[in-house]
Parts: sequence; structure tokens; C-alpha cells
Amino acid sequence: KQWYQRRVAITAGIKMSTNTPQQLFVNEPISSHAFNKDLSQVVVSNASAETHIFKKGAGGKYVLDTTLKEHLERVTSVDWAPNSNRIVTCAGDRNAYVWNLQQDTGEWQPCLVLLRINRAATYVRWSPNEDRFAVGSGARLLSVCYFDPENNWWVSKHIKKPIRSTILCVDWHPTNYLLAVGSCDFKCRVFSSALKELSDKPQTSPWMPKLSKFGTLLVEFSTNNGWVHGVKFSPSGAQLAWVSHDSSVNVVSMDNQTKVFTVLTASLPYCCLLWLSEDSFVAAGHDNCPDLFNVSRDDVKYGARLDIKKEKLSEHNMSAMARFQKLDEHGLTETGTKLHTTHVNCITDIRAAATSNGKVTRFSTSGKDGKLVIWEVNALCSAIQGLSI
Amino acid sequence: KQWYQRRLAITAGQEVTERAAEVKKLLNLTKNKDALKLALQNPPIGHQDPSVKEQNYETVLSVLKAFRTPEIDAAVGELSDADVDVLMKYLYKGFSNSPDKAAALLLWHEKAVKKGGVGCVIRVMVDRKGI
Repeated sequence: KQWYQRRVAITAGIKMSTNTPQQLFVNEPISSHAFNKDLSQVVVSNASAETHIFKKGAGGKYVLDTTLKEHLERVTSVDWAPNSNRIVTCAGDRNAYVWNLQQDTGEWQPCLVLLRINRAATYVRWSPNEDRFAVGSGARLLSVCYFDPENNWWVSKHIKKPIRSTILCVDWHPTNYLLAVGSCDFKCRVFSSALKELSDKPQTSPWMPKLSKFGTLLVEFSTNNGWVHGVKFSPSGAQLAWVSHDSSVNVVSMDNQTKVFTVLTASLPYCCLLWLSEDSFVAAGHDNCPDLFNVSRDDVKYGARLDIKKEKLSEHNMSAMARFQKLDEHGLTETGTKLHTTHVNCITDIRAAATSNGKVTRFSTSGKDGKLVIWEVNALCSAIQGLSI
Repeated sequence: KQWYQRRLAITAGQEVTERAAEVKKLLNLTKNKDALKLALQNPPIGHQDPSVKEQNYETVLSVLKAFRTPEIDAAVGELSDADVDVLMKYLYKGFSNSPDKAAALLLWHEKAVKKGGVGCVIRVMVDRKGI
């Protein structure tokens, strides 16, 4: 009876759950995911050539709704344009498709994209204005694609120089004509992608002090060693952060591009990152757990690990008998082999799910364990002492 | 530019030799912790002359051998993060050079991981220039 009373007290004490995990696939990794505007649907790519759309059901759980079948090879990346409601997918078959929802049939219709690459596509992202998207590939070039209404397909312009290896990640600047690219040649670069064809009227900024034509390299950052797995501009576009395979997290401000703030972390390398506000971002990767970093004008500091499992608290309430039994079962140590993180494998993608007042209040992560987890920032703040976002 | 690089290489070589002598002096005075910190300064990373790298490696190894087991934890605790990264690189060089004598180095490895985490080990793995 005492044990039961203690359990009730503990569960009552935790009012908000910090995260909601959902196992979308069993034994299949998720390479990428993207929500639509109202979070009612999510498009997910796993280790197959099929892309799956899940719809939010009655219980709040996402249920498989449709499967998009057009690709011939593993789909590596997906993105959903929230306002124009279009999905773009890219795969190892050197192709990308833009999917438009047919109003009358409710079916998703694929539209071919002429990438003109001779290697697999690795990453795709819609631009902020959703009139174009960028596709990174193993062909060591970036394809910026826009719609050609005459022929009813998407055409691409390439950015090739001086990228020397596979592109792993791309991020658009809020102005819609600047791109940050992270690649396997250990560099993070910012390019101009102003397109005459779409009547771009770029303005100068600290990232682009002189008006530059499409494909001009504006600035290049080196990470010493380590592929650049993830790159993101801050919400205002004034700062750029990237994570690399040497377990480092780097941030640079557009006002002082020679000073790169690097944190050489003690964790395994991160694969993706997301800015929660102008002065904090979350990085996640091979440690299966999102980590918070705080950014100030002259420093970048590791903030906290954002995964706290409730089950850990129950260990304090074990009776002496139960403790010895567990010791007997599992051997000398009490730690066992169970992971204490929500994700049990590498986190591959992290997306903002809800924002308010310019700050992200909810974000989602997907990983190689086939799980999709939605994290509540407010709940995390109250659960972890001293957390500032 | 070639001349400049050659000058840099020579000065790095001289620095390594001077450091070896300094470290030996500190070890004789049993100032082990200071010897460790000095030995880990400015390693000749990517130096074209392998004998310079070997000499620095021997210096570091001589310091590591001078410590008794209970002293290692405190010594590693006083190192800066950059120094721990350099120490880890030398430990892995030691593992590959003489795998059968790895026992002593493994004690150092455990303490270095306690301080620098697995990120420290990752940085040794992705390092493209040899130490």
C-alpha cells in the first residue's frame, strides 16, 4: 500500500510530460520527417523508396494515411511547404519529386524535378517563400530548383564551385536568396542564390556586402576535421550555427565573420540542430538525446541535456528485497543495459513544431529507432532546474 | 612560401628538442604535473619530419610513465580541455605503437574519458593529420 501511495504521489507531481514519443516504424530508421502547417499530418521517409504520410488520429497519435510511391531508391530527405501545402522528396535514385495535393481526389500527384545530378540526392529544403527549394547531393553540387510553368516541371540551377565533396545539409536564410551549405569536405559555406528568373531583388547585408550573382561563394568556414552534418541560420538570419563530426558545435555572427565560437563537446557527434530562439539552439545526434546550447554575444555554452526519464525516479522507492532481487538478476551493477533516453538510436532530424512570439515552444525529433518524439519546451523548462531558453 | 614553411618546421623541431630537455628537468625535480602540462603544449601536428613527432611522443610517454596510479586522476583533472584532447591523441598513438604494453595507457585513457568524454575520443578518430 505504501508503495502504491508513493507511486501516485510521484505521477501527480509531474503535471506536464516533457515529451510524447511515438513508434512509427518497427525496425526501420526514419531518415527525415516534416509536418504540415497545423501539425495534423506528417510526412516521413524511412529506409525504403516509399514516403509515408501519417495523419493525426483521435487519440492524438499519428496513423498511417497514404504512401507516396514514385522513387526507385531510398528516400533520403523530405520537406513540407507549410503555406503552399506541397511536399518535396529526394532519393538515392538521383531524382526529386514535388507532390501537389489534388483537391478533387485528395491524392498527392508527383511532379518531376530535373536535378541533372549523377549521384544520390541527400538533402532537400523549401525556401522561406516556398517558390524554390535546394537539393544537396553526392554529386558535389547543390541544385536550386524553381518551377517552369511553360513545361510544367521544376528546373534547377547548379552551384558547384568550390564544393569538393557530398553535401550533407542546406539551410535557407530568411531573405530567401542566401543559402548555407554543409558538406563532407569539412566546410560550411554561404552562397548567394539570387535568381533573375524569379525576379529576385536582393539587398546587401553583412552576409552579402556586394550584390552577388547566383552561385557566388560569400564566406567559407572550416571545421578542421569532421563532416558538417547540420547547418542552420538563426531565426533572424544574423547568426549561423553548424554541427560537425568532430563533436563540435560552431556559431558565427554575420557582424564578425572571422570569430567562430566553437564548443568541443564531450558527447558523440550531433547530426542536426534547431534554433529555439535568437539565443539558444538544440542539437541532437548520436547521443540519442537533444542538448541545449545557449548563445550570448561573446560566448556559446552547453546548456543542458533535455531528456529526463520519469522511470528513473521509481528506483528510489524499491524495497530492499526488490533491490537485491534485481542485483541477483542483472549481476554486479544496477545500471543494466537499458538506455535512459527516449530515443534509443541516433536522432536524424529535428523540426520546429510550434512557435509563439518568435520562440519555438514545441519541436519534434525523428531517429534511426523509427520513433517520432514531440518535445514541449515549456514543460522542459519547468522540469529541468536552471534551464534558460 | 616554401622557405617560410621550412623555417617553421625547423623552429618546431627546435621547440620539441627544447621541450624534451625542460620536461626531463621537471621530472627530475618530481614536478610531474608541471611536466605533463608542458609536454602537452604545442604538439608538432602534421610536421613533415617524422623524427620530430617521434621525439615529442617519447617526451610525453616519459611523463606518463613517471606517474603512479593514484596520481593520474588529479593530474588529468588539472588539464585544460585542449590538453586533454592532445593527451588522448598520444594515448591512441601509444596503443597503436605498442599494443601489448597498453595496460598503463588504459589507466590514463579511463581518466581522460572521465574528463573529456567520448567527444574527446571522436576527435582523435576524425583527426586527419598525425600527431
